[in-house]
Amino acid sequence: MADSPIMSSYAYAIMLLLPLSAAMVIFQSNPYQALVMRGILGAIAALIYAMMGGGDVALTEALVGTMLAITLYVVAVRSSLVMRLGVLEGEGAKNNLQWQPMLDYLRAMLKRYQLRLELVPYSDTQSLHQALAAKEVHGVCLMDRTGPNAEEVAPRILVRVRRLAEIFATELPEAIADAKLYRDDALVTLPHSPTLTEEHS
Amino acid sequence: MTLVLIAMIGALLIPMVEALQDEDIWQRMLAFASIATKTSVMILVIAVLQDDWMIGVVGVLILSVGNAALMLLAHIIKRVDDAMEG
Repeated sequence: MADSPIMSSYAYAIMLLLPLSAAMVIFQSNPYQALVMRGILGAIAALIYAMMGGGDVALTEALVGTMLAITLYVVAVRSSLVMRLGVLEGEGAKNNLQWQPMLDYLRAMLKRYQLRLELVPYSDTQSLHQALAAKEVHGVCLMDRTGPNAEEVAPRILVRVRRLAEIFATELPEAIADAKLYRDDALVTLPHSPTLTEEHS
Repeated sequence: MTLVLIAMIGALLIPMVEALQDEDIWQRMLAFASIATKTSVMILVIAVLQDDWMIGVVGVLILSVGNAALMLLAHIIKRVDDAMEG
């Protein structure tokens, strides 16, 4: 094989690129960036297959292995790595100082877990609770007024998914929002971690 | 002719290093586009070198259809980016 014209000196140089790009895919934590790397790996693999004489294999790698697989995977990642948060319609439009900082904090916090925040608006509180019970959303955000005519509001987030509730309990300070785990029978309060509570007290 | 191919392998390393270093996803997409085009042109050069028409047709197909994956990927990533900012 080594003295055949196909396995020339440059063939070994091209083949070294394959494990290099494969390592780039493995050590990438962001799923979207890993899929771009997978495209690079597929292009180099197609080159090697064509170089070795397997034209049909190269064509299949480029069309199915790279184009179809990446497109399907990116659609799957986009629809699964998302947290749907139910909110009341027009909540952000109200004169509410805590709304935008809370959303920014939530987005930054979820981004560390490669999650995306998607807001789902509902018209009233009852439909918000129904959506949470019917598993349409992963959590709901409620704005409770501290008093009858009070200016300040206390954002309260009810989360249905246990893992999300754990993340919220450890990383979301009470000063920004109060997070609780939602269950069908009762609300369970998760204890806030002492370090974060101390920081914001 | 082999020297041309070795020079192309050297040129292929430039976007590989770029993809490895830059954290921005659009820079990585650029590197992907560069690599996808370079590899298909290299397939064409190998086809001429070995005088193999079958590989030549495969190279033309990968060159023309292969960039469709890039377009689809870029479209979805742009929509995800818009959703994250908005």
